[in-house]
Amino acid sequence: MFLSLCATLSATAADKALRAGQPAPDFALRTIGGPNVRLSEQRGEVVVVAFWSSRCGPCRAHLKELDTLHAGLKDQGLIVYAVNVDDDIRAAREFAAGLSLKIPFLLDPGKGVARAYRVDSLPMMFMIDRLGIVRGVRRDDRAGAPSNADAEVRRLLAQ
Amino acid sequence: MLRVVSTLITALLALSVVSAHAQTPPPNAAEAKPEAVAAPATQVAPATDAAPATDASPVTDAAASPAVAAPDTRALDEQIQSLKKDAVDLNRELFMLEEELLFPANTQVAVFLSMDVGEYFAVDSVQIKIDNKEVTNYLYTPREAEALLRGGVQRLFLGNLKVGEHELVAIFNGKGPNDRDYRRGASVRFNKAVGAKYLELKISDRQRRAQPEFEIKDWE
Repeated sequence: MFLSLCATLSATAADKALRAGQPAPDFALRTIGGPNVRLSEQRGEVVVVAFWSSRCGPCRAHLKELDTLHAGLKDQGLIVYAVNVDDDIRAAREFAAGLSLKIPFLLDPGKGVARAYRVDSLPMMFMIDRLGIVRGVRRDDRAGAPSNADAEVRRLLAQ
Repeated sequence: MLRVVSTLITALLALSVVSAHAQTPPPNAAEAKPEAVAAPATQVAPATDAAPATDASPVTDAAASPAVAAPDTRALDEQIQSLKKDAVDLNRELFMLEEELLFPANTQVAVFLSMDVGEYFAVDSVQIKIDNKEVTNYLYTPREAEALLRGGVQRLFLGNLKVGEHELVAIFNGKGPNDRDYRRGASVRFNKAVGAKYLELKISDRQRRAQPEFEIKDWE
């Protein structure tokens, strides 16, 4: 199921990947243990949207780095949403509970948001500026790690 | 007829592109703005500093140049504001035209949601089915729920239906009395005649039973 999702997402992404400069698709999602979230309500803030799954190996380290990034920059207006794409919400909850991080975990079991963002690999991260425009897309490699995105996020916060 | 419609759609698309360009700021807009503001300040500062140190003629020249430049920038600013207003007006007209084209009055159906008091129900999501087909499933954030409690009326769905009998089912999810998960449905059969149809989903408190009440009203 997971592989078929990745294959579907990859096929969609290959057609037309979401690029920097494009408006970030709006979404409303439930969170784990928190209130519902709508992206457009955060207009005026810098938002990092990171997609993850409990079955994805590098996601654990990626989420921890994102949490550290968020802790350092939340006072400057950084918002981080970690969007889970698991079919099984219970697995996502257990995974999130095991990490005990501060960033909000959003649930996208229907993959509607992942499709809208044309997610083609996990983890995958989108940096959105204060006007709601995607300014950076980073995929699963060390160059795309949140710690390496620090400068780009700071630049967006300074705008 | 088809040619007229296609011409209209082409014009609409062209106008929407123009409108989008007019409304979307360039990527470097945020950087460009401070420079534009800063520019007169850097010109004025040397002139005021130079006044006591040098003779009168350079000072008057220096002072005169911002005085001449000021009306130009003001006129430019007025032009920009005027253009922005035109773009917003054009966008609004396009939006209305788009709605008229996509949802003509003879097939249009709109469903609204309103809340009254909300002591016994905190809305989380509302799902609407028309003729057993899901047409919307809206998830509410705390801010949106609060806006509804303050008297806001939300247009939850806008679509087209053919003339005749239809059934609308609304399923409300949220927190009920004593903060328990609460799920209720309400349905209505309505007759769609020629002309727009407006339905309102109304959530109110039934004080006597200490329960929320879900109604569907047909706006005649």
